Amino acid sequence: MLSYILRRIVATLPVMAIVALFVFSLLYIAPGDPAVVIAGDQASPEDVERIRQSLGLDRPFLIQFGSWVWRILHGDLGTSIFTNLPVSTMIGQRLGPTLSLMIVTLLLTIVVAVPLGVLAAWKAGSLIDRVIMGFAVFGFSLPVFVVGYILAYIFALELEWLPVQGYTPLTQGFWPWLQNLILPAIALGCVYIALVARITRAAMLEVLQQDYIRTARAKGMGQGGILFIHALKNAAVPIVTVIGIGIALLIGGAVVTESVFAIPGLGRLTIDAILRRDYPVIQGIVLLFSFVYVLVNLMIDVTYTLVDPRIRY
Amino acid sequence: MSEDLLEINDLQVAFTTRRGVVEAVRGITLTVAKGEMLGLVGESGSGKSVTGFATTRLLDAAGRVTGGKILFRGQDVTKLRGDDLRQLQGAAMSMIFQNPRAALNPIRAIGLQIADAILTHKKISKDAARAEALELLRAVQIRDPEARMNAYPHELSGGMCQRVMIAIAISCNPALLIADEPTTGLDVTTQKVVMDLLAEIAAARGMATILITHDLGLAARYCRRIAVMERGRIVEEASPKILFTAPQHAYTKRLVAASPTATSRIEDLVTEEERERTAAVVSKPRPAPAHGTPPLLEVRKLAKRFDQGSAAVADFSMTMAGGESVGLVGESGSGKSTTSRMICRLIDPSEGDIVFDGQSIGHVAARDFHRSRFRKDIQIVFQDPNESLNPRYTAFDCIAHPLMRLDGMRGGDALRKRVEECAERVGLPLDLLPRFPHQLSGGQKARVGIARAIACRPRLLVLDEPTAALDVSVQAVVLQLLDRLRRENDIALLFVSHDLNVVRMLCDRTIVLRNGSIVEQGESRALFDNPKTDYTRKLVEAIPHIETGPALAAAL
Repeated sequence: MLSYILRRIVATLPVMAIVALFVFSLLYIAPGDPAVVIAGDQASPEDVERIRQSLGLDRPFLIQFGSWVWRILHGDLGTSIFTNLPVSTMIGQRLGPTLSLMIVTLLLTIVVAVPLGVLAAWKAGSLIDRVIMGFAVFGFSLPVFVVGYILAYIFALELEWLPVQGYTPLTQGFWPWLQNLILPAIALGCVYIALVARITRAAMLEVLQQDYIRTARAKGMGQGGILFIHALKNAAVPIVTVIGIGIALLIGGAVVTESVFAIPGLGRLTIDAILRRDYPVIQGIVLLFSFVYVLVNLMIDVTYTLVDPRIRY
Repeated sequence: MSEDLLEINDLQVAFTTRRGVVEAVRGITLTVAKGEMLGLVGESGSGKSVTGFATTRLLDAAGRVTGGKILFRGQDVTKLRGDDLRQLQGAAMSMIFQNPRAALNPIRAIGLQIADAILTHKKISKDAARAEALELLRAVQIRDPEARMNAYPHELSGGMCQRVMIAIAISCNPALLIADEPTTGLDVTTQKVVMDLLAEIAAARGMATILITHDLGLAARYCRRIAVMERGRIVEEASPKILFTAPQHAYTKRLVAASPTATSRIEDLVTEEERERTAAVVSKPRPAPAHGTPPLLEVRKLAKRFDQGSAAVADFSMTMAGGESVGLVGESGSGKSTTSRMICRLIDPSEGDIVFDGQSIGHVAARDFHRSRFRKDIQIVFQDPNESLNPRYTAFDCIAHPLMRLDGMRGGDALRKRVEECAERVGLPLDLLPRFPHQLSGGQKARVGIARAIACRPRLLVLDEPTAALDVSVQAVVLQLLDRLRRENDIALLFVSHDLNVVRMLCDRTIVLRNGSIVEQGESRALFDNPKTDYTRKLVEAIPHIETGPALAAAL
């Protein structure tokens, strides 16, 4: 098992290398001289030259890339052009809110979507099934910012149950922290819940037709035992896969959600960095998100082997 | 009779499908006494399994009991609900299914799966249930039961899985056990071991058993009473002896005729009326090949190893003359399919050579063989006609495809004529040609598979268990067809099968394989009548013959 995980980690190295190359090339993919692009419209020639020098843009591409990678491997993501703060510091300050939002959304999704999907599959074709799947289509179709504003209007402005926007760190108490995250998590989770519920239903329907479910019924097992002991675990592989893939949705959605609810997280930082053409910050964030995504995929692969003894490692 | 444990009274079951309501069971009445083993025999679609599922209340959502009663200990099973029903299922009556590997949860250790059944019905601790599960594994004679408790189904053989299923079924000492095709898909020797075990357990525990099977021979061996079903009705009910010596109903007659026995010949497999058509051809003897004719196929010291493992096939040599039929028999894992695929040049041998028509073809890589001029000459008919036809190809496309690829035909009237000719040769009605596989019956699909294989007029036809998925009456027709094609077109047949009765009828010579090497070979009749090795003898003895098994029936 341990050697399997090690082998998988080694296998992710080429992926990370390609991602790094791509992220670094961002600067060059944009048309024109990178220094001019970074300096912006109102910059004087001296400003451009200063940026070129400080970023080492006058050196050959491969050497730039090499020293950039070297610095990253030592934990140095560079310095923001706009704030002159180290990128790692800036990311560190914004990591908490985004991570909180993503974890709460992920938990909310699993707790809501999986049981809904199981219920829909069990009652397939019934009114309950249709209502659940109807909601899934609804959740799919609404953009995050629309759901966000509607939720904020109803629950924060009209009913005044929850705060309209903002973020409170976990260090100031669990409830204040959670209070601020409920509405954003629902808004962000809508698409995700719809997706996972649909996949859960489809996977469960497939499994419920298998012979071993009939065997379980022949044993006289109750519906709960059949659904949760025999069926759900067998349906787990596609469900886990989609939950993992959905993390990418969360990353993209977090950018919008944080804007709607004024959460000072990485999403906001990303938007600010793009608007300011703060390339070192953009590169740092994209690299971090890619790394998280690769890590999530690694975790999914390991989960497969825990769920299904037939998968060899 | 007060002795009756189960009394089915005018049972009717219907299924709601897209094409309307299908009546699967149309009013059957039968009784099962305590401790009795009743055989329920019929071909696919006869409603025998549906009867079993209705009794154990395991019908699909689409299936519904529309009339009649199923009285179990005087209580109508069809009216039970909720907890009353669950107390019955797995406790008082239980069921064993076809395809044991699929019937077990693939990701749950077998010990837990047995314990599940026990814990559902008994209020005991998990440890006690585990101990009972271990006892049950011992009772079904699984070797090293402690270690097997934590095994998963994919780590066990098919026969082992069925033993585990039996362990689950008997875990709560049911009064009635329904075994639905319990040994279909298992080797003959495994079949015998599993059935003997089942009969023994049933006798020891006084369980009544309904044996649902398509195999008359199997039912005859283990049951004293057999009910024959056809299209949702019981057409005849009698002791095996009467059923085989003096069948009353026309369908039973056909079924008995179609079931191969130790002595039957191909032409015996259909009833008198159907025989006329083929008689003319059958009577024509095959001319012996001229002396000194080189063999059509010569295989020299063929071997195949997969991934450094032990050899799947080792040191396999044989020769075949044109128009000869050779049987390749053995249990699963004996290497017979691997050998046939090497000869078809679908996989590459590790060692040895294959010489076809004087030319070495063993060294042509399998992926390049489609360009060889011998591709036309060596064709294969695959095991499962349901799985081996492209679901998006019509019957016409299936037959036309090899003609276009290998015979360079370009479509148009010439192609149509050739396809229709092939269809006629295998007895496939021409109006079926535009249909897709799912619109054809099993027998029709088998014909499409054969028509496809003979389309390019091959000289060697390799048949990999071509009738294993077919009903006996369809099998009879397909076997006759193959025999006729061989005689008419002088096609050599290499027939891979585990069904020794079929091989005995169809093949001049037989080769017995075990663990990848030849154990015995020779002229079919002599080989089966006087097997020289223990292994062949075991195989021959394991075949359930049509003759009633007095020894075993008496033991019950």
